[in-house]
Amino acid sequence: MKPKKILKGILISVLLLGIATALSTQFQKWGVQELITTIFVFAVFLISLFTDGFIYGVVSSVVGMFLINFVFTYPYFELNFIKPRNLISAVIMLAVAVITGVLVTKIKRHEAIKAENERERMRANLLRAVSHDLRTPLTTIYSASTMLKENSEALNKQQRTQMLGSIQEEAQWLVRMVENLLLVTRIDNSTIKINKTPIILDELIDSVVTKFSAQHPSQKINLLLPEEIVIIPMDSILIEQVIRNLLENAVFHAKGMTMITLKVYTEGDRAVFEVSDDGAGIEEGKLKKIFTGNYGDRKDTSRREKRFAGIGLSVCATIIKAHGGTITAQNLETGGALFKFTLEKENSPDDE
Amino acid sequence: MMNNKYKILIIEDDRNIRNIMISLLETADYQVICADSCGAGKTLYRSHNPDVVILDLGLPDMDGMNFLKFVREDSLTPIIVLSARTDDMDKVTALDEGANDYVTKPFSSAELLARIRTALRNYRQSAGGKALGGVFKQRDLTIVYDARQVFIGQNEIRLSQTEYNIVALLSENCGKMMTYASIIKGIWGYSDEGSIKKLQVNMANIRKKFGVRPGEKWYISNELGVGYRMNGVNEI
Repeated sequence: MKPKKILKGILISVLLLGIATALSTQFQKWGVQELITTIFVFAVFLISLFTDGFIYGVVSSVVGMFLINFVFTYPYFELNFIKPRNLISAVIMLAVAVITGVLVTKIKRHEAIKAENERERMRANLLRAVSHDLRTPLTTIYSASTMLKENSEALNKQQRTQMLGSIQEEAQWLVRMVENLLLVTRIDNSTIKINKTPIILDELIDSVVTKFSAQHPSQKINLLLPEEIVIIPMDSILIEQVIRNLLENAVFHAKGMTMITLKVYTEGDRAVFEVSDDGAGIEEGKLKKIFTGNYGDRKDTSRREKRFAGIGLSVCATIIKAHGGTITAQNLETGGALFKFTLEKENSPDDE
Repeated sequence: MMNNKYKILIIEDDRNIRNIMISLLETADYQVICADSCGAGKTLYRSHNPDVVILDLGLPDMDGMNFLKFVREDSLTPIIVLSARTDDMDKVTALDEGANDYVTKPFSSAELLARIRTALRNYRQSAGGKALGGVFKQRDLTIVYDARQVFIGQNEIRLSQTEYNIVALLSENCGKMMTYASIIKGIWGYSDEGSIKKLQVNMANIRKKFGVRPGEKWYISNELGVGYRMNGVNEI
């Protein structure tokens, strides 16, 4: 156990026992002796409730027992276990401490199991969704390549080109999917560990936009970047993926989109990243749970783009949260959607 | 004429990827030899003395790094590492161990061919001495090493001392992916915690002085988390 936790346990025990003693002294002055045992039993109960394990409760009950016996019962300031009354109250207090301890530990364990189950369920849902999602592009790749191999002569040149095109497209989609899944495994542990290094904003954007343009040569991005040098501590692989996911999201889902804007500005000690488009925007119903990756109940699985968005955006949210930032989505009044996330930046760059 | 062709050794254990690369390279008029393990690769390397090696890092018998060290003991033959690993550390280690470049799986055929051309060209250049009159020229970019001047067309780009050193170092190693560590060692000689940040700030300033916006195609390509590379002729 950590020293901090032990200290906290001891503090709670001492504090509650102190209060109980103070109250009892008062009651004794008033001559209401009967309540004293009850007060100590209650204190022991509270101690067991608020501390981890049995030890604090049991020790407190023993201390309480001695206090009652020594201070508050006749003969005063003398230990006396011969009187059955004293013995019984001692036994009751010990029993209360142990039973409460057992119950509390049980409840805590139960909660931990519940959380673990929840994680497992999420993982299972993700796996189900993924294996289902993988099958669609694989079907295309498999059947198209089989046809090309076996019926090559029967196909005309245009058909062959078209099939090769869809093989390539589906393969690229699989690549993106796998990249995201790898990132999920990289951060989906109970202890999220992010390896941050200071990154110059320009270098990050350069790398992201270069990779994006290689994938989507015809799609222009309107870049709005701050003039000054901005340094942001981050895991650059993860943040790069977030921006790419948001950009690609706009390409695949924003109907009628002609322009994507990537804007970065600073606001206090934070850097704000905005990816916006001039497409059709996001349906109101979807807006709320857009980052939760609602994998379980997707009836409209006919369009693979939709499915990918779920995983891609929940990956984004997980990454940004792990960095201690925030991410939001909204519709613009002018039409189109805006995704916005913030990251803490370094204060002042020391130029050479 | 068989002998006029460049000889490329592929060390890759996956049969499908190997077959595709063989078709690709033979269509591009290279002579190809193949090995499916590190051990076989070493034997073929010794007997055929290839011009370029394409090396997969995950091999059944030994790690590809083993082959890399084996070749670098006594030769500068260009080695392009092929890796399914997306982790930056693997790339950096391979580059620092002497690999000239890397291509991450999955790769496009155009990408692989471009890297091979660059590797070959650089090797020939460095083998033939780097005299060239102390001038580096590539399309619009001219670097006059003696005068420490950099030009785009007729316009001089005024760089600070450090900025010039970085550009010059990259141009001397044109086509080779230079890791942060190797650039820092070449420029400052020592490295500390803030070195990479310092290098990135300088590079951002260099880009600005060239009037290039982030994401625009340029002479220097930026591999975040790994390093920089002065692009070969065919890659821009």
